[in-house]
Amino acid sequence: MPPDAAAGGAPREIMIKTLRYRPDVDSKPAWQTYRVPFTEDMSVLQGLQYIKDHLDGTLSFRWSCRMAICGSCGMMIGGEPKLACMSVLRDYYPGELVIEPLAHFPIERDLVVTVGEFVKKIESIYPYLIPKTARRLDEGEYLQTPLQLARYETFSDCINCMLCYAACPQFGENPDFIGPGAMALLQRYNGDSRDGGEEKRMALVHTENGAWSCTAVGYCSEVCPKQVDPANAVNQNKTRSALDYFLRFLGRSVDVRSAPPGGGAP
Amino acid sequence: MSGARPYIRPIEPLWWARPPYLAYTLREATGVAVAGYAVVLLAGVISLASGEGAYQAWLDFLRSPWSLALHLLFLIGILAHVWTWFAIMPKTMPRLVIGDRVVPQSWITAAGLAVAIASFIVILLLAKWVQP
Amino acid sequence: MNLIETDIAIVGAGGAGLRAAIAAAEADPKLKIALISKVYPMRSHTVAAEGGAAGVVRPDDSLENHFHDTVAGGDWLCDQDAVDYFVAHCTEEMMQLEHWGCPWSRKQDGHINVRAFGGMKIERTWFAADKSGFHILHTYFQTSIKYPSIRRLDEYFCLDLIVDDGRCQGVVAIEIATGELVLVIAKAVILATGGAGRVFVQNTNGGIVTGDGMALAFRHGVALRDMEFVQYHPTCMPGTGLLFTEGCRGEGGILTNKDGYRYLQDYGLGPPDPWPRNKAMELGPRDRISQAFWHEERKGRTFTTPHGSAVHLDLRHLGARKLRERLPQICELAEHFLGIDPARQPIPVRPGVHYTMGGILVDLKTAAPLAGLFAAGECASAGIHGANRLGSNSLSELGVFGKMAGITAAAYARDTSVAPTATLERQAQDVERRALSLITAEGGSERLATLRDEMARSMEAGCGIYRLETEMQATCDTLAKLKERYRRLRLDDRSRVWNTEWLAAIELGYQLDVAEAIAHSALNRRESRGAHQRLDGYTTRDDAAFLKHTLAHYRGDAPPRIDYAPVNITRLPPGKRAYGAEAERIEQAAKEITHAT
Repeated sequence: MPPDAAAGGAPREIMIKTLRYRPDVDSKPAWQTYRVPFTEDMSVLQGLQYIKDHLDGTLSFRWSCRMAICGSCGMMIGGEPKLACMSVLRDYYPGELVIEPLAHFPIERDLVVTVGEFVKKIESIYPYLIPKTARRLDEGEYLQTPLQLARYETFSDCINCMLCYAACPQFGENPDFIGPGAMALLQRYNGDSRDGGEEKRMALVHTENGAWSCTAVGYCSEVCPKQVDPANAVNQNKTRSALDYFLRFLGRSVDVRSAPPGGGAP
Repeated sequence: MSGARPYIRPIEPLWWARPPYLAYTLREATGVAVAGYAVVLLAGVISLASGEGAYQAWLDFLRSPWSLALHLLFLIGILAHVWTWFAIMPKTMPRLVIGDRVVPQSWITAAGLAVAIASFIVILLLAKWVQP
Repeated sequence: MNLIETDIAIVGAGGAGLRAAIAAAEADPKLKIALISKVYPMRSHTVAAEGGAAGVVRPDDSLENHFHDTVAGGDWLCDQDAVDYFVAHCTEEMMQLEHWGCPWSRKQDGHINVRAFGGMKIERTWFAADKSGFHILHTYFQTSIKYPSIRRLDEYFCLDLIVDDGRCQGVVAIEIATGELVLVIAKAVILATGGAGRVFVQNTNGGIVTGDGMALAFRHGVALRDMEFVQYHPTCMPGTGLLFTEGCRGEGGILTNKDGYRYLQDYGLGPPDPWPRNKAMELGPRDRISQAFWHEERKGRTFTTPHGSAVHLDLRHLGARKLRERLPQICELAEHFLGIDPARQPIPVRPGVHYTMGGILVDLKTAAPLAGLFAAGECASAGIHGANRLGSNSLSELGVFGKMAGITAAAYARDTSVAPTATLERQAQDVERRALSLITAEGGSERLATLRDEMARSMEAGCGIYRLETEMQATCDTLAKLKERYRRLRLDDRSRVWNTEWLAAIELGYQLDVAEAIAHSALNRRESRGAHQRLDGYTTRDDAAFLKHTLAHYRGDAPPRIDYAPVNITRLPPGKRAYGAEAERIEQAAKEITHAT
């Protein structure tokens, strides 16, 4: 529904300039600008919905939960990787708000980028609990103290929004880099006191496209909307990887296989 | 025959020269200051081994205005290097747990800087003490 | 059209769909499973659930307690055999999640922690901070990756079921990335497509919660049961409708009106102290708390916000430390969207539509009356929620009935064969023609957003917290007109690749059918029970006439036919739904009787 007029006057309007791309008619992306009335509390997502509902139904973008937990609405807002549902229009007024699809990913249509390759990376890191010890359901829960939980909890908060990949210039240069989000999930399991699958996952970490493509730019952790701190996940694994490399000379066997092909099934 | 045709936008070649990455580039560049200072020290060691004359030349160089300007740049670079080094240090380690609490990353950075400042003071005092 | 042959097709990859896929894969690793979802699994709306999942663990708790709380919470419209099965399997499912890595919150000794929740006599809600649904969904999704027999079709939009010879034998879906259609031939189809809350204006739901599976089953002759029972969650953000979990109240949060008064004590939920106290005051059931808000609003004791009236959810007394630890996401939501720090200021809240108690009619094994079709999760009516769902029973439902659906479908698929492909393909081509006509239609004049908003406003007015015959009838009439105007829809976007306007139009079609089921079911239930409350002479529960399930049957353009089916009452005869002091008195009296005999 069109927003109500702001108290005491005509509604304010913001110019939203967004990149468009329709593969059936466009050879390459081009800009399109819309005039959008807005109120103080309207999010950028609501601005896009206004465009789609009232101005131009052909604008395509992903969204769902509206509360920064589903991870659908990541895009470049004012040149920064952000979630549309968590950005507010008033922050960009009175200038022009520039919206583009998430950087470093192929554009399928308008603000929709290819997510499949990222999901394959998630799948490749054995992203499930490989218990250290077997336990039957009737034997009850694995014990885990709040402190043990705290060691990996932030890494488990990743909503798979891919903002960190848009932030990472090394991923921009090398799309095969496993990247911050996948490494955060990897560390979530390696750091879980119940898990015993670390060695399997380290094989991926040791490779050029594993932790070693990272140069500690740190922008990924800055843009993360859930404070997951993927930079910590990647860089502590560089330290770990280096340690593993040198310790093997002391007789510790470390299986330095090359990364398994996508799929991740044991 | 589907109409899907994903478009790949080219990477901006000068990404490292623009915000937000410029800060990162400058941080990496401070390594040059460290390397540069090491070269100067190495030159000093070599000139010491080459005899009285060479060593004196090196000391004269150190006192020259060019050298002072260069060392000022080195100092700025190395201070920035120290600051950013300890800022990034907690990222390279797993969550630090002491007792029953996770130690905040800012404390680790603060501890590192504290050690750096303490070392600086100690070395300054040492230098004063050994001065003839 | 592309063709995929599989044994089991699952539509919807949220908690129930993923659990069903895992269960089917474990039941028989040789079966091929196609997991079809219109969004990537981690975007499914399970992700937004906050509070927790119920499962009896405390030594002072019992299945009987959980059973009683659930049946009473459902105002006796629950099928008690289903509730018995449900409560007996909740804990096992929660434990299974833990074994699969779910980061449940713990006590200091490392054991699972449980919190209090609305309408529950004893603490039995397992929780993972205040993002339980998020962690449950991600645990199921990541675990599902272990099973090579699960083939995911991510971002495939299901258009229709293929039914031949009285059996469901597959689905037709749009591959969203290309706009091409695919026929998935399957021996068994499980619907796990979630609820339909988006037919209302203010709701906690994500954009994808549009009743897809409900409409598909409905259109193929499967009844939608108990659709009039729509849950208003009492504490939502005014405007957006975003959810502030019941866990806030579980941790001790209170609700106050504009005079700072804890008004729930005026509505049979008191006395206010001691606090917190299970099944009393703010820990009463959701329907009663939402209804209390409605009364406060009529009395002029709510305050006004730019997005409607509200009351205060006051968490200040919890303290900043406990808030950050137990309710971090709530703090984030309040701060980001409202600029409020819950440790310093109370949060404005009002009721919003949250959950659809009703859904696709299924039996105890999740089988729909249409052979080969199964349903689990919010889209199904398993019979456990009755007229009002208790918080934290829904996340447990995903595990219990998701697993049941997977096992039942696997057993069914093993003994079934499908019709010749050519037969099914002909049907699929009809589906394609109808779907494409939305894009190619010329001469239409109606705008998608206009129809959608009118539907939502009408539903909000007629099927709100309190209902009147005149208003419900008006909504039924409006929906009929909107269905007719829908035929004259004109889309801006006529392309195939990533045409989300096309998908939204198809979703609107689903929503109009489901909305009609809701409105007509509501109109015909001449009593007040649970979440269906009337002010027009039918203000009390009428067990004699209406202790029965509503069944809505699809009749195309005509309004749905409504009839009824008995409720399965096995051992707990209908009683008074009592909370607060009244409940304590009744319990005390019962104890005295037991001691006396």
